[in-house]
Amino acid sequence: MAVCHKAARPLARCMQTSQPPCFSARSIRQFTTTSRRDGEVATVPETEPIVYDPATVTSRKGEKALMKSGVMPIGSRRRRAALKSSGNLPFEQLPYQCFQEALKIFRTDREEKLKQIQTERLRISNLEAQDASNVKGGEVQKQRRLVSMRSHLEYLKIQADINDPLIKKRFEDGEGDMNKPIYRYMAEKQWRKYQQLLIAQRIDQFNIVPDVLPHFEPTADVRLAFKQRSVQHGEYVDSRVSEVPLRLKVQVFDKGERLVSIVVIDSDVPVSEEDNFTSRCHFLATNIPLSPTITSIPISQLPKESIALPWMPPFAQKGSPYHRYSVFVLQQQPGETLDAAQLKEAVQRDGFRLRSFKDKYKLDPIGMSIFRSTWDEGTAGVMQRAGIEGADIEFKRKRVEALKPKQKARGWEARHSSAKYRQLWR
Amino acid sequence: MLLPRLQPPLRAAICSIGRSSQQPCINEAFAALNIRAASPTLTFVRHASHAQQGAVNKAKDGPGKRLGAKKSGEQYVIPGNIIFRQRGTLWFPGENCGMGRDHTIYATESGYVKYYKDPEKHPKRQYIGVVFERDQVLPLPRNSVRRRKLNMLATQMEVPPTIEEIEVKSDLVLKPKKERKVLQLRPGYMYREANWEIGRAAERAKVKVKEFKPRDRWTAWRKAWARKLVNKDKRIVGQRKKK
Repeated sequence: MAVCHKAARPLARCMQTSQPPCFSARSIRQFTTTSRRDGEVATVPETEPIVYDPATVTSRKGEKALMKSGVMPIGSRRRRAALKSSGNLPFEQLPYQCFQEALKIFRTDREEKLKQIQTERLRISNLEAQDASNVKGGEVQKQRRLVSMRSHLEYLKIQADINDPLIKKRFEDGEGDMNKPIYRYMAEKQWRKYQQLLIAQRIDQFNIVPDVLPHFEPTADVRLAFKQRSVQHGEYVDSRVSEVPLRLKVQVFDKGERLVSIVVIDSDVPVSEEDNFTSRCHFLATNIPLSPTITSIPISQLPKESIALPWMPPFAQKGSPYHRYSVFVLQQQPGETLDAAQLKEAVQRDGFRLRSFKDKYKLDPIGMSIFRSTWDEGTAGVMQRAGIEGADIEFKRKRVEALKPKQKARGWEARHSSAKYRQLWR
Repeated sequence: MLLPRLQPPLRAAICSIGRSSQQPCINEAFAALNIRAASPTLTFVRHASHAQQGAVNKAKDGPGKRLGAKKSGEQYVIPGNIIFRQRGTLWFPGENCGMGRDHTIYATESGYVKYYKDPEKHPKRQYIGVVFERDQVLPLPRNSVRRRKLNMLATQMEVPPTIEEIEVKSDLVLKPKKERKVLQLRPGYMYREANWEIGRAAERAKVKVKEFKPRDRWTAWRKAWARKLVNKDKRIVGQRKKK
């Protein structure tokens, strides 16, 4: 404090405290004979209304005031208190010693990993440039080494970023860029934890594997929706809901764009003449682009050139057991395109076999989803509008005759009903 | 029963004869060999088990439970027919067969019984299955399409199904979202309308209610009668009438 300030302190204090109340506007007003006029109305000095920030309000009074005005406070009270007290610092600059030390360790580790990535890239390029005759083991061994080196490079890329708290936060908020390997890795890990187990269980429970395909391991996350309604794997879907084409959301976890085909198969079409079941294809489309960033496939918005068999609404005749509808996403060979017009001629809806179809056109199933359908009130209408016959057919269970012989009639009347005893009945 | 021991007195007598071998007379020797009668205190013996105990501990054998195969291989069965009765699982249920709570194997489809082993399913187990053709072999090849029977007849419906007229909208047209009220945070962390708003819901819906007249028993009776008529049909099945 400057010397002048120290000297003036007693005087200043005196000036501040000795403001007599008689100097206020209220008391100076003189006596008047006439009544009070509008201009002379004594007003209470108004304090400015406190403006609460929805991101940092912590008091209950402030929250109530905000909600009354129609603005909701953001996040939990704890979050708001933390934001208020931290002075709006970026997360990685928060002044907690342990946290900062950990971040230091992580950063040094990341530097090391980046150097390793660089050296690995150099090694790969050197090996690629080398002639196969110079490499021990020839071309085969060279390719093997390149494959293992590339997989190690991918591993290093993940390890460089996996410990970053901001990357974790971005992924959890859904802001991760799927073109980067770390976000794809985290998305796949999350999928394998639950959703992949769920679809594998459905494939086993509904016998998709022996009936539709001999072997199948899903590698992509496939979700279905009809209009705004999402469909869980194996859920019963009303016929009126599935009358419109479905919307697919497919998340692949390996990089690169590829073309896929979509097939919707009904595996439980009843054939009463043969006392058997066949399958039917309800939808077939090809040459649909798919990548880790392009995930949405709305079937109704696909170009006409891609659709080989247009959407036929799922239906189940009355009395038949539930129909399983499997939606398969099949990856085409890199660079290969299928002709939808040619497929339309070649592929029959009835008796469609996915095994032979995928072998013929060299397709690789990467993901699937499933829903079920039974007879309900709207099925007849759906069939009529789609021009499908058979809405008035009902399936009834066949009677199984018992193996044991019919019981003979009992009683005196039964024993004496033959011609021998005609006299008794006259 | 404690049997008095005879051996020790006999042994003692013989020993005494041996000891006193200087006796010349045979009669005196015999006299020395007098087996003393059991002393006033008898020595009784207890053996480990007795007759009653032995009879109780005999191996049990009750009436036979008629277990075993009831249908032989390639015999025709219908759903529900018991194929094998057993204690535990000597045989496991295979294709188109089920297992009951006492491990009874029964058929779930009409067909022919097959007894087989499937090392790919389990290396040690043996299975009973039902096939639709007599010459079909079990186990089926791995990951082959399941053989199923419809077991249903397609018949014409007597009354054709009612077809309701609905307008099919494409999935691009989204319904305008219903205008929802902004719900307030109430005590107890509930997001709902205020109580006074709930109280005035009838007013908003313009529900018309006749004013209650306390002495008008005719209107009151009519209302009560109408309510009872409606509630009569709502009685839950299984609920007993209160006496």
